[in-house]
Amino acid sequence: MNWVILWKGVLLLTLIGYSLLVVIVFFGGINNIIAMLQDLSSPRNELENDE
Amino acid sequence: MDVFATNFKTIDWFIVTVYIFIPVVIGIVVRKYVRQLSDFIVAGRSLRLFIAIATLTGTELGLVTVMYNSELGFKHGFSAFHIGIIETVCILAIGITGFIVYKLRQLRVMTIPEFYEKRFGRNVRIIGGILLALGGILNMGLFLQAGARFMMGVTGYSNPAGLKLFMSAMLTMVLIYTVLGGMVSVVLNDFLQFIVLSIGMLIGSYFAIRRIGWSNLFAAPETAISDSWFNPVAEGSGFGMIYVLFMVVLTFSAGALWQSGTLRALSAKTPKVAKQLYAWSSVSYLARRVIPMLWGICAFVFVSQTPKLLSAFQGPDALNSQFGMPIFIAKVLPSGFLGLIAAGMFAAFMSTHDSYLLSWSSVITQDIIAPLKRGALSDKQRLLITRISIITIGLFLLIWGLWFEAPVSLWNYMAVTGTIYLAGAFTVVAAGLYWKKASSTGATLALFAGLLAILGIGPWTQGENVPFYLSDKFIGLMTFVVAFIGMIAGSLLFPDKNSLQGEQESDLEAS
Repeated sequence: MNWVILWKGVLLLTLIGYSLLVVIVFFGGINNIIAMLQDLSSPRNELENDE
Repeated sequence: MDVFATNFKTIDWFIVTVYIFIPVVIGIVVRKYVRQLSDFIVAGRSLRLFIAIATLTGTELGLVTVMYNSELGFKHGFSAFHIGIIETVCILAIGITGFIVYKLRQLRVMTIPEFYEKRFGRNVRIIGGILLALGGILNMGLFLQAGARFMMGVTGYSNPAGLKLFMSAMLTMVLIYTVLGGMVSVVLNDFLQFIVLSIGMLIGSYFAIRRIGWSNLFAAPETAISDSWFNPVAEGSGFGMIYVLFMVVLTFSAGALWQSGTLRALSAKTPKVAKQLYAWSSVSYLARRVIPMLWGICAFVFVSQTPKLLSAFQGPDALNSQFGMPIFIAKVLPSGFLGLIAAGMFAAFMSTHDSYLLSWSSVITQDIIAPLKRGALSDKQRLLITRISIITIGLFLLIWGLWFEAPVSLWNYMAVTGTIYLAGAFTVVAAGLYWKKASSTGATLALFAGLLAILGIGPWTQGENVPFYLSDKFIGLMTFVVAFIGMIAGSLLFPDKNSLQGEQESDLEAS
Protein backbone atom coordinates (compact mmCIF):
# COMPACT_ATOMS: atom_id res chain seq x y z
CA MET A 1 0.00 0.00 0.00
CA ASN A 2 1.27 3.48 -0.86
CA TRP A 3 0.67 5.33 2.40
CA VAL A 4 1.78 8.73 1.04
CA ILE A 5 -0.84 8.71 -1.70
CA LEU A 6 -3.49 7.55 0.77
CA TRP A 7 -2.74 10.32 3.29
CA LYS A 8 -2.53 12.96 0.53
CA GLY A 9 -6.00 11.92 -0.61
CA VAL A 10 -7.35 11.94 2.94
CA LEU A 11 -5.94 15.40 3.59
CA LEU A 12 -7.37 16.88 0.39
CA LEU A 13 -10.74 15.21 0.98
CA THR A 14 -10.86 16.60 4.51
CA LEU A 15 -9.99 20.18 3.56
CA ILE A 16 -12.41 20.31 0.62
CA GLY A 17 -15.21 18.38 2.32
CA TYR A 18 -15.03 20.38 5.52
CA SER A 19 -14.99 23.72 3.64
CA LEU A 20 -18.19 22.72 1.84
CA LEU A 21 -19.79 21.55 5.07
CA VAL A 22 -19.06 24.87 6.78
CA VAL A 23 -20.77 26.82 3.97
CA ILE A 24 -23.82 24.50 3.97
CA VAL A 25 -24.18 24.52 7.74
CA PHE A 26 -23.78 28.30 7.94
CA PHE A 27 -26.74 29.04 5.66
CA GLY A 28 -28.85 26.09 6.79
CA GLY A 29 -28.09 26.77 10.45
CA ILE A 30 -29.38 30.35 10.40
CA ASN A 31 -32.78 29.15 9.19
CA ASN A 32 -32.73 26.37 11.77
CA ILE A 33 -32.05 28.84 14.61
CA ILE A 34 -35.01 31.01 13.61
CA ALA A 35 -37.27 27.95 13.52
CA MET A 36 -35.95 26.68 16.86
CA LEU A 37 -36.60 29.97 18.63
CA GLN A 38 -40.13 30.02 17.16
CA ASP A 39 -40.68 26.49 18.46
CA LEU A 40 -39.49 27.44 21.93
CA SER A 41 -41.69 30.56 22.02
CA SER A 42 -44.89 28.73 21.14
CA PRO A 43 -46.92 26.17 23.15
CA ARG A 44 -45.34 22.74 22.70
CA ASN A 45 -46.57 19.35 21.55
CA GLU A 46 -43.30 17.42 21.40
CA LEU A 47 -44.89 14.06 20.63
CA GLU A 48 -45.66 15.21 17.12
CA ASN A 49 -41.90 15.33 16.48
CA ASP A 50 -41.62 11.59 16.77
CA GLU A 51 -43.95 10.89 13.90
CA MET B 1 15.17 31.75 17.47
CA ASP B 2 13.50 32.21 20.86
CA VAL B 3 11.32 29.16 21.59
CA PHE B 4 8.37 31.26 22.74
CA ALA B 5 8.78 34.05 20.16
CA THR B 6 5.34 34.92 18.76
CA ASN B 7 3.47 37.11 16.28
CA PHE B 8 0.66 37.55 18.83
CA LYS B 9 0.19 41.34 19.22
CA THR B 10 -2.22 43.78 20.88
CA ILE B 11 -4.76 43.44 18.07
CA ASP B 12 -4.87 39.68 18.71
CA TRP B 13 -5.48 40.21 22.42
CA PHE B 14 -8.29 42.62 21.49
CA ILE B 15 -9.96 40.06 19.16
CA VAL B 16 -9.80 37.33 21.79
CA THR B 17 -11.02 39.53 24.65
CA VAL B 18 -14.03 40.85 22.70
CA TYR B 19 -14.90 37.37 21.53
CA ILE B 20 -15.09 35.69 24.91
CA PHE B 21 -17.78 38.10 26.12
CA ILE B 22 -20.20 37.31 23.27
CA PRO B 23 -21.42 33.98 24.70
CA VAL B 24 -22.35 35.58 28.01
CA VAL B 25 -24.57 38.08 26.19
CA ILE B 26 -26.22 35.21 24.29
CA GLY B 27 -26.79 33.35 27.58
CA ILE B 28 -28.59 36.36 29.06
CA VAL B 29 -30.69 36.98 25.93
CA VAL B 30 -31.94 33.39 25.50
CA ARG B 31 -32.76 32.85 29.16
CA LYS B 32 -36.42 33.71 28.44
CA TYR B 33 -36.74 30.65 26.19
CA VAL B 34 -35.95 28.22 29.03
CA ARG B 35 -39.28 27.39 30.64
CA GLN B 36 -38.96 23.75 31.58
CA LEU B 37 -36.28 21.11 32.24
CA SER B 38 -36.38 19.68 28.72
CA ASP B 39 -35.72 23.20 27.35
CA PHE B 40 -32.64 23.41 29.56
CA ILE B 41 -31.24 19.93 28.86
CA VAL B 42 -32.37 19.07 25.32
CA ALA B 43 -33.49 22.50 24.00
CA GLY B 44 -37.11 21.34 23.94
CA ARG B 45 -36.08 18.65 21.39
CA SER B 46 -36.25 21.32 18.71
CA LEU B 47 -32.92 20.91 16.88
CA ARG B 48 -33.08 20.69 13.12
CA LEU B 49 -30.36 19.15 10.98
CA PHE B 50 -27.89 21.96 10.27
CA ILE B 51 -27.91 23.55 13.70
CA ALA B 52 -27.53 20.06 15.15
CA ILE B 53 -24.44 19.47 12.96
CA ALA B 54 -22.95 22.77 14.15
CA THR B 55 -23.57 22.02 17.79
CA LEU B 56 -22.32 18.43 17.58
CA THR B 57 -19.15 19.63 15.86
CA GLY B 58 -18.79 22.48 18.33
CA THR B 59 -18.94 20.00 21.18
CA GLU B 60 -16.70 17.32 19.79
CA LEU B 61 -14.12 19.71 18.38
CA GLY B 62 -12.71 21.32 21.49
CA LEU B 63 -9.41 23.00 22.23
CA VAL B 64 -8.40 19.83 24.01
CA THR B 65 -9.26 17.84 20.85
CA VAL B 66 -7.02 20.12 18.83
CA MET B 67 -4.25 19.76 21.43
CA TYR B 68 -4.25 15.97 21.72
CA ASN B 69 -4.61 15.42 17.99
CA SER B 70 -1.83 17.85 17.15
CA GLU B 71 0.30 16.11 19.77
CA LEU B 72 -0.37 12.79 17.99
CA GLY B 73 0.64 14.35 14.65
CA PHE B 74 3.73 15.91 16.24
CA LYS B 75 4.86 12.59 17.75
CA HIS B 76 3.68 10.02 15.19
CA GLY B 77 3.29 11.87 11.88
CA PHE B 78 0.79 10.74 9.24
CA SER B 79 0.40 7.33 10.84
CA ALA B 80 -1.90 9.05 13.38
CA PHE B 81 -4.37 9.78 10.54
CA HIS B 82 -5.67 6.22 10.87
CA ILE B 83 -7.60 7.27 14.00
CA GLY B 84 -9.47 9.87 11.93
CA ILE B 85 -10.31 7.32 9.24
CA ILE B 86 -11.55 4.77 11.79
CA GLU B 87 -13.64 7.35 13.62
CA THR B 88 -15.17 8.71 10.40
CA VAL B 89 -16.16 5.24 9.19
CA CYS B 90 -17.72 4.47 12.60
CA ILE B 91 -19.72 7.74 12.68
CA LEU B 92 -20.86 7.23 9.09
CA ALA B 93 -21.95 3.67 9.93
CA ILE B 94 -23.98 4.97 12.89
CA GLY B 95 -25.52 7.64 10.63
CA ILE B 96 -26.45 5.18 7.89
CA THR B 97 -27.85 2.46 10.18
CA GLY B 98 -29.12 4.65 13.03
CA PHE B 99 -27.51 2.10 15.37
CA ILE B 100 -28.43 3.02 18.97
CA VAL B 101 -29.06 6.75 18.36
CA TYR B 102 -32.29 6.30 16.39
CA LYS B 103 -33.89 4.09 19.04
CA LEU B 104 -32.67 6.24 21.92
CA ARG B 105 -34.20 9.36 20.36
CA GLN B 106 -37.44 7.44 19.80
CA LEU B 107 -37.51 6.57 23.49
CA ARG B 108 -37.37 10.32 24.33
CA VAL B 109 -34.76 9.90 27.06
CA MET B 110 -32.67 12.90 28.11
CA THR B 111 -29.61 10.96 29.35
CA ILE B 112 -28.15 7.50 28.67
CA PRO B 113 -28.74 6.19 32.24
CA GLU B 114 -32.40 7.14 31.86
CA PHE B 115 -32.51 4.32 29.32
CA TYR B 116 -30.90 1.97 31.86
CA GLU B 117 -33.86 2.50 34.17
CA LYS B 118 -36.42 1.95 31.43
CA ARG B 119 -34.76 -1.32 30.51
CA PHE B 120 -33.04 -2.60 33.64
CA GLY B 121 -34.47 -0.76 36.64
CA ARG B 122 -33.55 2.12 38.91
CA ASN B 123 -30.46 0.60 40.56
CA VAL B 124 -28.74 0.14 37.22
CA ARG B 125 -29.55 3.74 36.38
CA ILE B 126 -27.94 5.04 39.57
CA ILE B 127 -24.81 2.87 39.14
CA GLY B 128 -24.59 3.88 35.48
CA GLY B 129 -25.09 7.54 36.39
CA ILE B 130 -22.31 7.49 38.98
CA LEU B 131 -19.85 5.78 36.60
CA LEU B 132 -20.79 8.11 33.76
CA ALA B 133 -20.33 11.21 35.91
CA LEU B 134 -17.04 9.83 37.31
CA GLY B 135 -15.59 8.98 33.90
CA GLY B 136 -16.95 12.14 32.29
CA ILE B 137 -15.78 14.61 34.90
CA LEU B 138 -12.33 12.98 35.16
CA ASN B 139 -12.21 13.06 31.36
CA MET B 140 -12.59 16.85 31.51
CA GLY B 141 -9.86 17.05 34.13
CA LEU B 142 -7.03 18.09 31.84
CA PHE B 143 -8.97 20.45 29.56
CA LEU B 144 -7.86 23.57 31.43
CA GLN B 145 -4.26 22.41 31.54
CA ALA B 146 -4.18 21.79 27.78
CA GLY B 147 -5.85 25.17 27.24
CA ALA B 148 -3.23 26.89 29.38
CA ARG B 149 -0.42 25.24 27.36
CA PHE B 150 -2.01 26.39 24.10
CA MET B 151 -2.33 29.91 25.49
CA MET B 152 1.30 29.90 26.59
CA GLY B 153 2.57 28.64 23.23
CA VAL B 154 0.52 31.05 21.12
CA THR B 155 0.85 34.26 23.13
CA GLY B 156 4.36 33.67 24.43
CA TYR B 157 3.02 34.71 27.84
CA SER B 158 4.62 32.26 30.25
CA ASN B 159 3.74 33.54 33.74
CA PRO B 160 2.06 30.48 35.33
CA ALA B 161 -0.02 32.52 37.81
CA GLY B 162 -1.31 34.82 35.06
CA LEU B 163 -2.20 31.85 32.90
CA LYS B 164 -4.16 30.21 35.69
CA LEU B 165 -6.06 33.44 36.25
CA PHE B 166 -6.84 33.75 32.54
CA MET B 167 -8.09 30.18 32.28
CA SER B 168 -10.16 30.63 35.43
CA ALA B 169 -11.76 33.74 33.91
CA MET B 170 -12.64 31.80 30.76
CA LEU B 171 -14.17 28.98 32.74
CA THR B 172 -16.21 31.54 34.68
CA MET B 173 -17.61 32.92 31.40
CA VAL B 174 -18.66 29.42 30.35
CA LEU B 175 -20.27 28.77 33.73
CA ILE B 176 -22.29 31.98 33.52
CA TYR B 177 -23.84 31.38 30.11
CA THR B 178 -24.40 27.67 30.66
CA VAL B 179 -26.10 28.20 34.03
CA LEU B 180 -28.29 30.95 32.53
CA GLY B 181 -29.34 29.53 29.19
CA GLY B 182 -28.77 25.77 29.36
CA MET B 183 -28.95 23.90 26.05
CA VAL B 184 -30.57 26.78 24.12
CA SER B 185 -27.63 29.01 24.99
CA VAL B 186 -25.17 26.19 24.33
CA VAL B 187 -26.65 25.53 20.89
CA LEU B 188 -26.48 29.18 19.78
CA ASN B 189 -22.95 29.56 21.06
CA ASP B 190 -21.90 26.30 19.46
CA PHE B 191 -23.17 27.57 16.11
CA LEU B 192 -21.18 30.79 16.39
CA GLN B 193 -18.14 28.89 17.60
CA PHE B 194 -18.43 26.29 14.83
CA ILE B 195 -18.22 29.06 12.22
CA VAL B 196 -15.35 30.97 13.87
CA LEU B 197 -13.38 27.84 14.68
CA SER B 198 -13.84 26.28 11.24
CA ILE B 199 -12.71 29.43 9.42
CA GLY B 200 -9.74 29.66 11.80
CA MET B 201 -8.81 26.02 11.20
CA LEU B 202 -9.00 26.29 7.42
CA ILE B 203 -6.96 29.52 7.36
CA GLY B 204 -4.47 28.00 9.79
CA SER B 205 -4.07 24.96 7.55
CA TYR B 206 -3.38 27.18 4.55
CA PHE B 207 -0.59 29.04 6.38
CA ALA B 208 0.85 25.83 7.86
CA ILE B 209 1.04 24.06 4.48
CA ARG B 210 2.38 27.20 2.78
CA ARG B 211 5.16 27.51 5.37
CA ILE B 212 6.29 23.87 5.10
CA GLY B 213 5.55 23.30 1.40
CA TRP B 214 3.25 20.58 -0.01
CA SER B 215 6.09 18.26 -1.14
CA ASN B 216 8.18 18.73 2.05
CA LEU B 217 5.09 17.88 4.08
CA PHE B 218 5.03 14.34 2.71
CA ALA B 219 8.75 13.67 3.16
CA ALA B 220 9.44 12.10 6.55
CA PRO B 221 11.78 14.38 8.60
CA GLU B 222 15.33 13.11 9.15
CA THR B 223 14.66 12.81 12.88
CA ALA B 224 11.76 10.39 12.29
CA ILE B 225 11.73 6.76 11.08
CA SER B 226 10.40 6.94 7.53
CA ASP B 227 8.18 3.85 7.54
CA SER B 228 6.56 4.42 10.94
CA TRP B 229 5.88 8.10 10.07
CA PHE B 230 3.26 6.89 7.57
CA ASN B 231 2.33 3.32 8.51
CA PRO B 232 0.34 2.90 11.77
CA VAL B 233 1.08 -0.82 12.07
CA ALA B 234 4.82 -0.49 11.35
CA GLU B 235 7.30 -1.15 14.14
CA GLY B 236 8.14 2.06 16.00
CA SER B 237 4.94 3.91 14.99
CA GLY B 238 3.74 3.84 18.61
CA PHE B 239 0.46 2.26 17.50
CA GLY B 240 0.23 -1.33 16.13
CA MET B 241 -2.67 -3.73 15.57
CA ILE B 242 -3.87 -3.84 19.19
CA TYR B 243 -4.07 -0.05 19.23
CA VAL B 244 -5.97 0.01 15.92
CA LEU B 245 -8.50 -2.50 17.30
CA PHE B 246 -8.85 -0.48 20.52
CA MET B 247 -9.54 2.64 18.44
CA VAL B 248 -12.25 0.84 16.42
CA VAL B 249 -14.10 -0.17 19.59
CA LEU B 250 -13.48 3.12 21.41
CA THR B 251 -14.47 5.49 18.60
CA PHE B 252 -17.53 3.44 17.64
CA SER B 253 -18.82 3.32 21.21
CA ALA B 254 -17.94 6.98 21.85
CA GLY B 255 -19.62 8.00 18.61
CA ALA B 256 -22.86 6.36 19.63
CA LEU B 257 -22.83 6.95 23.36
CA TRP B 258 -20.58 9.76 24.54
CA GLN B 259 -23.17 11.69 26.53
CA SER B 260 -22.28 15.17 25.25
CA GLY B 261 -22.47 14.02 21.62
CA THR B 262 -25.49 11.77 22.08
CA LEU B 263 -27.27 14.66 23.80
CA ARG B 264 -27.40 16.31 20.35
CA ALA B 265 -29.12 13.27 18.89
CA LEU B 266 -31.53 13.26 21.83
CA SER B 267 -32.20 16.99 21.24
CA ALA B 268 -32.94 16.43 17.55
CA LYS B 269 -36.39 17.32 16.29
CA THR B 270 -37.09 13.79 15.08
CA PRO B 271 -35.35 10.37 15.24
CA LYS B 272 -34.68 10.71 11.50
CA VAL B 273 -32.82 13.99 12.07
CA ALA B 274 -30.77 12.24 14.80
CA LYS B 275 -29.69 9.66 12.22
CA GLN B 276 -28.94 12.21 9.48
CA LEU B 277 -26.95 14.24 11.98
CA TYR B 278 -24.39 11.44 12.32
CA ALA B 279 -24.10 10.80 8.59
CA TRP B 280 -23.36 14.49 7.84
CA SER B 281 -21.13 14.93 10.87
CA SER B 282 -18.77 12.18 9.74
CA VAL B 283 -17.09 14.95 7.71
CA SER B 284 -16.52 17.08 10.80
CA TYR B 285 -15.28 14.07 12.76
CA LEU B 286 -12.68 13.58 10.03
CA ALA B 287 -11.73 17.26 10.17
CA ARG B 288 -11.47 17.34 13.96
CA ARG B 289 -8.76 14.67 13.72
CA VAL B 290 -6.95 15.34 10.44
CA ILE B 291 -6.62 19.14 10.57
CA PRO B 292 -5.02 19.35 14.06
CA MET B 293 -2.83 16.35 13.20
CA LEU B 294 -1.74 18.22 10.06
CA TRP B 295 -0.74 21.19 12.24
CA GLY B 296 1.19 18.85 14.53
CA ILE B 297 3.00 17.30 11.57
CA CYS B 298 3.86 20.74 10.14
CA ALA B 299 5.06 21.76 13.61
CA PHE B 300 7.37 18.74 13.83
CA VAL B 301 8.83 19.38 10.36
CA PHE B 302 9.35 23.04 11.32
CA VAL B 303 10.98 22.13 14.64
CA SER B 304 13.22 19.52 13.04
CA GLN B 305 14.48 22.18 10.58
CA THR B 306 15.26 24.66 13.39
CA PRO B 307 18.17 23.48 15.58
CA LYS B 308 17.36 25.69 18.58
CA LEU B 309 13.75 24.55 18.64
CA LEU B 310 14.76 20.94 18.10
CA SER B 311 17.05 21.04 21.13
CA ALA B 312 14.19 22.49 23.23
CA PHE B 313 12.17 19.34 22.54
CA GLN B 314 15.03 16.93 23.26
CA GLY B 315 16.88 15.81 26.37
CA PRO B 316 15.87 15.40 30.00
CA ASP B 317 14.37 18.93 30.27
CA ALA B 318 12.50 18.68 26.97
CA LEU B 319 9.35 20.75 26.52
CA ASN B 320 6.07 18.79 26.64
CA SER B 321 5.18 17.75 23.07
CA GLN B 322 1.82 19.51 23.46
CA PHE B 323 3.75 22.77 23.02
CA GLY B 324 4.82 21.85 19.48
CA MET B 325 1.72 22.99 17.59
CA PRO B 326 1.04 26.29 19.45
CA ILE B 327 4.70 27.33 19.25
CA PHE B 328 4.63 26.62 15.51
CA ILE B 329 1.46 28.55 14.68
CA ALA B 330 2.62 31.47 16.84
CA LYS B 331 5.57 31.83 14.47
CA VAL B 332 4.02 31.21 11.05
CA LEU B 333 0.66 32.99 11.32
CA PRO B 334 0.62 36.77 10.88
CA SER B 335 -0.79 38.99 13.62
CA GLY B 336 -4.54 39.41 13.21
CA PHE B 337 -4.97 35.91 11.82
CA LEU B 338 -3.33 34.63 14.97
CA GLY B 339 -5.99 36.46 17.00
CA LEU B 340 -8.68 34.84 14.87
CA ILE B 341 -7.17 31.39 15.37
CA ALA B 342 -6.82 32.00 19.10
CA ALA B 343 -10.45 33.20 19.25
CA GLY B 344 -11.45 30.07 17.33
CA MET B 345 -9.56 27.88 19.76
CA PHE B 346 -11.07 29.61 22.75
CA ALA B 347 -14.43 29.16 21.04
CA ALA B 348 -13.60 25.47 20.91
CA PHE B 349 -12.59 25.56 24.54
CA MET B 350 -15.90 27.12 25.53
CA SER B 351 -18.15 25.03 23.29
CA THR B 352 -16.72 21.81 24.71
CA HIS B 353 -16.83 22.98 28.30
CA ASP B 354 -20.42 24.20 28.11
CA SER B 355 -21.66 20.91 26.68
CA TYR B 356 -19.68 18.73 29.03
CA LEU B 357 -20.80 20.78 32.03
CA LEU B 358 -24.40 20.45 30.89
CA SER B 359 -24.05 16.73 30.19
CA TRP B 360 -22.51 15.69 33.49
CA SER B 361 -24.67 18.00 35.58
CA SER B 362 -27.78 16.59 33.85
CA VAL B 363 -26.60 13.08 34.71
CA ILE B 364 -26.02 14.01 38.36
CA THR B 365 -29.52 15.50 38.61
CA GLN B 366 -31.51 13.09 36.48
CA ASP B 367 -29.67 9.83 37.06
CA ILE B 368 -28.25 10.02 40.56
CA ILE B 369 -30.12 12.51 42.76
CA ALA B 370 -33.64 12.24 41.29
CA PRO B 371 -33.76 8.40 41.33
CA LEU B 372 -32.42 8.40 44.89
CA LYS B 373 -35.27 10.79 45.79
CA ARG B 374 -37.62 8.42 43.94
CA GLY B 375 -38.90 11.07 41.55
CA ALA B 376 -40.06 13.45 44.27
CA LEU B 377 -38.30 16.44 42.68
CA SER B 378 -40.18 19.13 40.78
CA ASP B 379 -38.88 20.53 37.48
CA LYS B 380 -37.86 23.70 39.29
CA GLN B 381 -35.86 21.77 41.89
CA ARG B 382 -34.17 19.72 39.17
CA LEU B 383 -33.20 22.89 37.32
CA LEU B 384 -31.71 24.31 40.51
CA ILE B 385 -29.73 21.11 41.23
CA THR B 386 -28.48 21.04 37.63
CA ARG B 387 -27.27 24.63 37.93
CA ILE B 388 -25.58 23.97 41.28
CA SER B 389 -23.93 20.86 39.80
CA ILE B 390 -22.56 22.91 36.89
CA ILE B 391 -20.89 25.33 39.32
CA THR B 392 -19.57 22.49 41.51
CA ILE B 393 -18.04 20.67 38.54
CA GLY B 394 -16.53 23.97 37.41
CA LEU B 395 -14.84 24.43 40.79
CA PHE B 396 -13.53 20.86 40.69
CA LEU B 397 -12.07 21.48 37.22
CA LEU B 398 -10.28 24.58 38.41
CA ILE B 399 -8.55 22.68 41.19
CA TRP B 400 -7.92 19.41 39.32
CA GLY B 401 -7.14 20.87 35.90
CA LEU B 402 -4.77 23.61 36.90
CA TRP B 403 -2.85 21.93 39.70
CA PHE B 404 -2.88 18.21 38.84
CA GLU B 405 -0.12 16.95 36.53
CA ALA B 406 -1.09 13.72 34.72
CA PRO B 407 1.59 11.02 34.63
CA VAL B 408 0.55 9.97 31.10
CA SER B 409 0.00 11.64 27.72
CA LEU B 410 -3.12 13.70 27.09
CA TRP B 411 -4.76 11.26 24.63
CA ASN B 412 -3.89 8.28 26.83
CA TYR B 413 -5.60 9.99 29.75
CA MET B 414 -8.67 10.86 27.65
CA ALA B 415 -9.00 7.36 26.20
CA VAL B 416 -8.69 5.65 29.57
CA THR B 417 -11.08 7.91 31.48
CA GLY B 418 -13.54 7.65 28.59
CA THR B 419 -13.33 3.86 28.64
CA ILE B 420 -14.40 3.77 32.32
CA TYR B 421 -17.84 4.78 31.14
CA LEU B 422 -17.91 3.64 27.52
CA ALA B 423 -17.00 -0.03 27.97
CA GLY B 424 -20.01 -0.61 30.20
CA ALA B 425 -22.38 1.84 28.53
CA PHE B 426 -21.87 0.54 25.02
CA THR B 427 -22.43 -3.06 26.08
CA VAL B 428 -25.45 -2.23 28.25
CA VAL B 429 -27.22 0.01 25.72
CA ALA B 430 -26.51 -2.20 22.71
CA ALA B 431 -27.64 -5.33 24.58
CA GLY B 432 -30.58 -3.51 26.14
CA LEU B 433 -31.85 -2.35 22.77
CA TYR B 434 -31.11 -5.38 20.64
CA TRP B 435 -30.97 -8.47 22.93
CA LYS B 436 -34.14 -9.54 24.72
CA LYS B 437 -32.28 -11.74 27.24
CA ALA B 438 -30.11 -8.88 28.58
CA SER B 439 -30.68 -8.71 32.35
CA SER B 440 -30.04 -6.17 35.10
CA THR B 441 -27.32 -8.40 36.62
CA GLY B 442 -25.55 -8.55 33.26
CA ALA B 443 -25.88 -4.76 32.94
CA THR B 444 -24.45 -4.18 36.44
CA LEU B 445 -21.47 -6.47 35.77
CA ALA B 446 -20.78 -4.74 32.44
CA LEU B 447 -20.91 -1.29 34.03
CA PHE B 448 -18.52 -2.22 36.84
CA ALA B 449 -16.16 -3.86 34.32
CA GLY B 450 -15.50 -0.36 32.98
CA LEU B 451 -13.56 0.45 36.13
CA LEU B 452 -10.81 -1.92 34.91
CA ALA B 453 -9.81 0.84 32.49
CA ILE B 454 -8.24 2.76 35.40
CA LEU B 455 -5.42 0.16 35.27
CA GLY B 456 -4.49 1.75 31.94
CA ILE B 457 -3.02 4.85 33.59
CA GLY B 458 -0.99 2.96 36.20
CA PRO B 459 2.83 3.24 36.41
CA TRP B 460 3.22 -0.29 34.94
CA THR B 461 2.15 1.06 31.54
CA GLN B 462 5.14 3.45 31.39
CA GLY B 463 8.73 3.03 30.29
CA GLU B 464 10.60 0.93 27.75
CA ASN B 465 9.88 -2.75 27.00
CA VAL B 466 6.45 -2.89 28.66
CA PRO B 467 4.91 -6.31 27.85
CA PHE B 468 1.86 -5.98 25.58
CA TYR B 469 -0.56 -7.21 28.27
CA LEU B 470 0.42 -4.31 30.54
CA SER B 471 0.12 -1.63 27.85
CA ASP B 472 -2.65 0.95 28.08
CA LYS B 473 -4.08 -0.05 24.69
CA PHE B 474 -4.36 -3.74 25.63
CA ILE B 475 -5.94 -2.90 29.00
CA GLY B 476 -8.39 -0.55 27.24
CA LEU B 477 -9.35 -3.17 24.66
CA MET B 478 -9.70 -5.90 27.30
CA THR B 479 -11.98 -3.65 29.38
CA PHE B 480 -14.49 -3.73 26.52
CA VAL B 481 -14.10 -7.51 26.20
CA VAL B 482 -14.63 -8.07 29.95
CA ALA B 483 -17.70 -5.80 29.93
CA PHE B 484 -19.12 -7.78 27.02
CA ILE B 485 -18.47 -11.12 28.76
CA GLY B 486 -19.97 -9.72 31.98
CA MET B 487 -23.18 -8.81 30.16
CA ILE B 488 -23.49 -12.19 28.43
CA ALA B 489 -22.61 -14.30 31.50
CA GLY B 490 -24.67 -12.19 33.94
CA SER B 491 -27.72 -12.25 31.68
CA LEU B 492 -27.60 -15.98 31.02
CA LEU B 493 -26.83 -17.00 34.60
CA PHE B 494 -29.10 -14.45 36.31
CA PRO B 495 -32.02 -13.61 34.02
CA ASP B 496 -34.53 -11.00 35.13
CA LYS B 497 -37.86 -12.20 36.46
CA ASN B 498 -40.29 -12.54 33.57
CA SER B 499 -42.82 -10.12 34.97
CA LEU B 500 -40.29 -7.34 35.40
CA GLN B 501 -38.74 -7.93 32.00
CA GLY B 502 -42.14 -8.04 30.36
CA GLU B 503 -43.14 -4.82 32.07
CA GLN B 504 -39.97 -3.05 30.99
CA GLU B 505 -40.32 -4.24 27.43
CA SER B 506 -43.90 -2.97 27.37
CA ASP B 507 -42.64 0.37 28.67
CA LEU B 508 -40.08 0.51 25.89
CA GLU B 509 -42.63 -0.38 23.26
CA ALA B 510 -45.08 2.17 24.67
CA SER B 511 -42.36 4.81 24.56
